[in-house]
Amino acid sequence: MRPLFEIDTLTHRYGALLALDGVSLTVEPGAIGLVGQNGAGKSTLIKILLGLLRHTSGMVRVFGSDIVKHGVGLRGRIGYMPEREGVTPGLNGIEYVGLSGELNGMPRKLALRRAHELLSQLGLEEARYRRLENYSAGMVQRIKLAATLVHDPDLLLLDEPTSGLDPDGRTAMLALLKSLAQRPGKSLLFSTHLLGDIEQVCRHTLILENGRIAASGSLEDLLAGQEHAFLLRWKNGDGAANDAFLAALQQAGAEVSPVEEPGQARVVVSAEWPGQQFFHLAKRAGVTLTGLEPEEMDLRTVYRRLVGMESATSSLIGLAKRGESGVAS
Amino acid sequence: MSLVKPENETITQRPTWFAAWPIARTALQLVFRRKLFWLLFLVALLSFLSMFGAIYLLATLRQQSPQLEQFITSMLKDLDGSGTTFLNFMVAQGTVTMILLAFAGSVLAGNDHSRGGLIFYLSRRINVLHYAAGKLLAIGLLISLTTTLPALVLFMEYGLLGDTSKYFGENYSIVFSIIGYGTLLSVAVGLLLFALVSWMPKPVPLVMLWGGLFVFLPILSRILTFAMREPGVRRRIALEESPWRLLDFWYDLFVVGNKFFGVDKPLFTGATIVVCSVCIVSVIAIFVRLRQLQHQS
Repeated sequence: MRPLFEIDTLTHRYGALLALDGVSLTVEPGAIGLVGQNGAGKSTLIKILLGLLRHTSGMVRVFGSDIVKHGVGLRGRIGYMPEREGVTPGLNGIEYVGLSGELNGMPRKLALRRAHELLSQLGLEEARYRRLENYSAGMVQRIKLAATLVHDPDLLLLDEPTSGLDPDGRTAMLALLKSLAQRPGKSLLFSTHLLGDIEQVCRHTLILENGRIAASGSLEDLLAGQEHAFLLRWKNGDGAANDAFLAALQQAGAEVSPVEEPGQARVVVSAEWPGQQFFHLAKRAGVTLTGLEPEEMDLRTVYRRLVGMESATSSLIGLAKRGESGVAS
Repeated sequence: MSLVKPENETITQRPTWFAAWPIARTALQLVFRRKLFWLLFLVALLSFLSMFGAIYLLATLRQQSPQLEQFITSMLKDLDGSGTTFLNFMVAQGTVTMILLAFAGSVLAGNDHSRGGLIFYLSRRINVLHYAAGKLLAIGLLISLTTTLPALVLFMEYGLLGDTSKYFGENYSIVFSIIGYGTLLSVAVGLLLFALVSWMPKPVPLVMLWGGLFVFLPILSRILTFAMREPGVRRRIALEESPWRLLDFWYDLFVVGNKFFGVDKPLFTGATIVVCSVCIVSVIAIFVRLRQLQHQS
């Protein structure tokens, strides 16, 4: 299968600011989440993929074609939903979506018909003749999505689509994106800093940090080989036994963070750590282990660890090396 | 119905340059949704209506009282049906056209630049060239609506109310002259307006600058013309020949436009250089700004 996009040593600078730093990546079609803090380079990457931004160096191919040479043609196969801007005041919903279709090469009649269909589907039927400046934040996001979908693109680039939405609106938008992500033959790149949103919609994730790919892969890939965290509980320990137990854990390579309750501690261990080891160490220190609760691993945990562990080597945290990452669907 | 198009439906894609028309149409739609522009447009049509009435009156007099008609035509050279009639009409439309454009500029393109609408256009299957072509088409059409189109209607009226075949047979080239001069106005003024709007999208500063260019500079050019006039040179001659007149861009267009009607005016070379320079600088300013906005958005 032809990759959705291939990026090789992509660098982009805004003057002295390095926005993307030697990103190399090959991504297969599917629903991909793009995660990163503000300023990590997500929007820059999206705009480069769209051909709106000329990158400083490196190579970017979308659907196998060079985005710099074939930007206009490729944009006809891409639907882009910007985070904030992108709405033309003075137009009503139908005109806006219809115009988007026409700008993507659709005849006016067909563009307007698709616009009517989409607005009905997205729950904007009643508001379709209302001016865009009178739309609520949720409606603006939905109309922008309709304008993105009108020409039936093969790839959707969605920049913070749930930004500014209330909880109900966010849930509805995520459900919608989830349904879009399941369309056969269609792909979606969903940029956000809300990890929960990615988990709901995407099977694959790219984590950007300071302009570099910190990790990429399916959620299972990202979790595999990750360190595990446990909440340990024990009893029958006096002060000395407790200290001995904690010291033994640390000596064995565990990262120990005491919690407020006596006889409890949060322990982070490597993926290879045998579970029996806790019991051996407890026995040796003279305490009885009464609880061993694994902490639930999710993308949030992975991301927090990754971003907070700059110095950690990729092999330690079990993630693909930067520049060699690939996302397979 | 679905968010994805039905499988049996093919979305035909038109050539990319076709996108200029929806861009222009949308810009004009936004302009004509504001009552102020209808008012300005009606004002712009006032001189057209009076000219229309005058031509009709002359045609009536020609049949009922030919001597009176000849007398009036000899007094009012502007109504003799020659190319000058229509050229002068188009020049006279300048003031109101400029006012209309000053207020329309922000709606035509300024909002895209100040409110982030540009990204909506440029993320579609077009590039900055197509976008600029669409916006220039909109400005050009607006200029044509107040200058070229009414002039063509007046030409048709003049011919239809008189000796139709003789008039059209002898003066058919006037149609091309009107279209040529109208195109010159649309291109030169359109480029200048679009360049200014790109850098100054807010309405108030734009109106002030536009007013400066088309009100202050013409006044200044006249003041300097008379102030620097050599003794003995008549006012009319000075107004036609003083290089200070080149400061008045609408006059420059008038001088160049005369060529379309077969009239050679003094200062033609200077006016052509000014018009070409303004166009070139405008094109550079537009694309530098659009690239900048594209990267900022």
